[in-house]
Amino acid sequence: MKPMKLAALLTVIVTGGLLLFATSDLPDWGDPLSPANASDLSTYYIQDSRDVTEVPNLVTAVLADYRGYDTMFETVVIFVAGLGILSILGQGKCEEPLAQPVASEQNRERDMITIITCRLVVPIIQIFALYVIAHGHYSPGGGFQGGVMLGSSFILIALTSGLPDALKRMSQERAIFLAGLGVLIYAGTGLVCMALGRNFLDYEILHKLMGGTGVKARYDSMLIVEIGVAFTVMAIMFIIYAVLSSKGRMRGGL
Amino acid sequence: MTEQFPILIIIAPLFGAILIALLGFRHQSLCLPTVLGSLAISCAAAVGTFLKVLEQGTVLYNLSGWERVTTPRGLFSVSIEYRVDAISGLVLVAIAAVGLLNAIYSKVHVVTETPNKVPHYYILYLLLVAGLAGMTITNDAFNLYVLIEISSLSSYALIAIGSRRAVLASFNYVIMGTIGASFYLLGVGYLYIKTGTLNMTDIHAALATLPKDSPSVQVALILILIGLWIKMAFFPLHGWLPNAYAYSPTATSTLMGPLVTQVMIYIMIRMMLSLFGAEYVFDHLQWTNIVVGLSVIAIVAGSLFALSRSDLRKMLTYLIVAEVGYMVGGAWLANSMGMTGAIYHILSDAMMTFTLFMVIGIIITRTGKTELTAFQGLFRKMPITMTGFTIAALSMIGLPPTCGFFSKYYLVRGGIEAGQWAYVGALLFSSLINAVIFFRLIEMAYFHGGKAYGEEITDKDHEHHHSRGRELDAQPDETLEQVPWSMLAPMLMAAASLLAIGIFNRPIAGWINAALETLNLAQGG
Repeated sequence: MKPMKLAALLTVIVTGGLLLFATSDLPDWGDPLSPANASDLSTYYIQDSRDVTEVPNLVTAVLADYRGYDTMFETVVIFVAGLGILSILGQGKCEEPLAQPVASEQNRERDMITIITCRLVVPIIQIFALYVIAHGHYSPGGGFQGGVMLGSSFILIALTSGLPDALKRMSQERAIFLAGLGVLIYAGTGLVCMALGRNFLDYEILHKLMGGTGVKARYDSMLIVEIGVAFTVMAIMFIIYAVLSSKGRMRGGL
Repeated sequence: MTEQFPILIIIAPLFGAILIALLGFRHQSLCLPTVLGSLAISCAAAVGTFLKVLEQGTVLYNLSGWERVTTPRGLFSVSIEYRVDAISGLVLVAIAAVGLLNAIYSKVHVVTETPNKVPHYYILYLLLVAGLAGMTITNDAFNLYVLIEISSLSSYALIAIGSRRAVLASFNYVIMGTIGASFYLLGVGYLYIKTGTLNMTDIHAALATLPKDSPSVQVALILILIGLWIKMAFFPLHGWLPNAYAYSPTATSTLMGPLVTQVMIYIMIRMMLSLFGAEYVFDHLQWTNIVVGLSVIAIVAGSLFALSRSDLRKMLTYLIVAEVGYMVGGAWLANSMGMTGAIYHILSDAMMTFTLFMVIGIIITRTGKTELTAFQGLFRKMPITMTGFTIAALSMIGLPPTCGFFSKYYLVRGGIEAGQWAYVGALLFSSLINAVIFFRLIEMAYFHGGKAYGEEITDKDHEHHHSRGRELDAQPDETLEQVPWSMLAPMLMAAASLLAIGIFNRPIAGWINAALETLNLAQGG
């Protein structure tokens, strides 16, 4: 065996051994009294979060409010991922006409059945995506899932009618703009809270703008930030597909 | 307003990046002013936060406005919180200052090296600075991971945006960096299973109630340490670093070289002291000998590799590997002198590496050479650049009054106090190697001047140097020193900061020590 492979094998064995060693004093599977289930923090989320945020889905309350700052940066992670791929593979010139079909593109026969079917399916996907986004703050769903669905509807157009057709609807420049807009909606919400004299992302104070109570403001703001997340995820999903499938040339495609 | 300073450090670059994403692609002239403006705000906020910390002690900042909740067992945090003490305050100032100065320094490079990707470059640049600052400031173990992701992803792209070789180097870094980040996340996962919280202060409190020899907590520490060691390029986990920094665009290496590894070392110290606690890490586990032994190997190997390289940027990258050994070793000496030295060295190493990368960037741009021989006769041609270089070189060797001397002084004293003679020996050995490397360069720059250099010039830019003849030998060659002030001024400021950090070493060490005392690592302890 080559020395590198042997070293890799040893590393894997040692790491695996460590992980097994660590399980020896982990709490039992599903133990209701384990620290993760019964700590002050979990008890607080389970008992109190509904009263102070009005959100029935406590996962969302944790995600979009208590740890909303993390989620904001997760959105930025997606933004960076898309932009990174674009900056490594892309040609970088947004002014260039993107939707120019190449020769092979024009000659390729498109199957009418798939095109018509997708034309019918795309609006349904998008409406369902909006439904998922709109439900983000009080039932399972949210901006990430809804954004991926919206993005996939554009990818479907690109798969059936060709990338140039999809780029007509969502050009590279527009996609970057929408991705930036999504982050702006999220971070901007936080900034407005600061402008009104509270800490960053303290949605409670937004009741001054939106009316109602502070608790209601928290509830509504979660929807706003979920919409921001959806914009970014949608645009970046499509950018990643467009760049990878066309090797950065943003034309032709699969 | 002052209570919002901590968040401004992070969100100023974030909003700068958003602004460029929205407008910078259409109006490229907006990019640089946005970068400079947002980093200036970030820098001012970092200084403001630091002054506030000096005035009133540790600063806490609740994101989303959730105050700590009271229970019979004490207060606990339900959301994410920032925590700035004197140590992280200093690191934050260094991050924001390096980010700002480098943006000024590299304004020409960005346009020439990545001509049609300027907005992309600046967005990633700002997010890297925001990510590094966010890692330093946060008091939440998972939020730290999210910001590691931000800074890693943006740095992968910032490296790969350059030449074709950089893409391969960046790919290596992606693999290594992802492994490192996953190890860290796995460690945090174990801690969450054992404690049920992610806030570092709360984890620390919860760990105190657990049995000391819990295997999962030990494994969590090992995983976190290995993850961070990969990220900071601690020998022998340094494989990704030399190529990644040597082939990346100039602006990327001058930003990452001084910041990425150093911030990771700060994170390691943070994990050791405020998450696991000095008592657990040093007194209970007794791993000092092992880790200091590893750092001795890192110092010796890094120095030897640096000595053997003839490419300027490669040599610098191996010097970073050696310096990582200094800091890891210092932090693990288990006494406050070593820890003070390690933290002080984070600052001085950041500024030294920054100065050296800028000087070498200037020299490579002007002479077109990347080998050590580029230095021949440079004192006469580029007196200003070489002044900065000399200060940085003296600091790397460790001569007073530069900061390099004082960090070595603290580290050596810490090593003697701890009885780690191998570590002390490695430090002195590395200083010796640095002296060889840098005096060789200074000698080349000072004495191999004049005609020998003139004959070697093949670069078209300098052809007329010959024709102008002898009068030029007497006075500085303007053609070569024709570096824009946007490059010289940040370099000189960084070089001046080396002297400033050195001269004000007593107050800086005093602040660090005071902060260490609150973390139960008292003087001599």
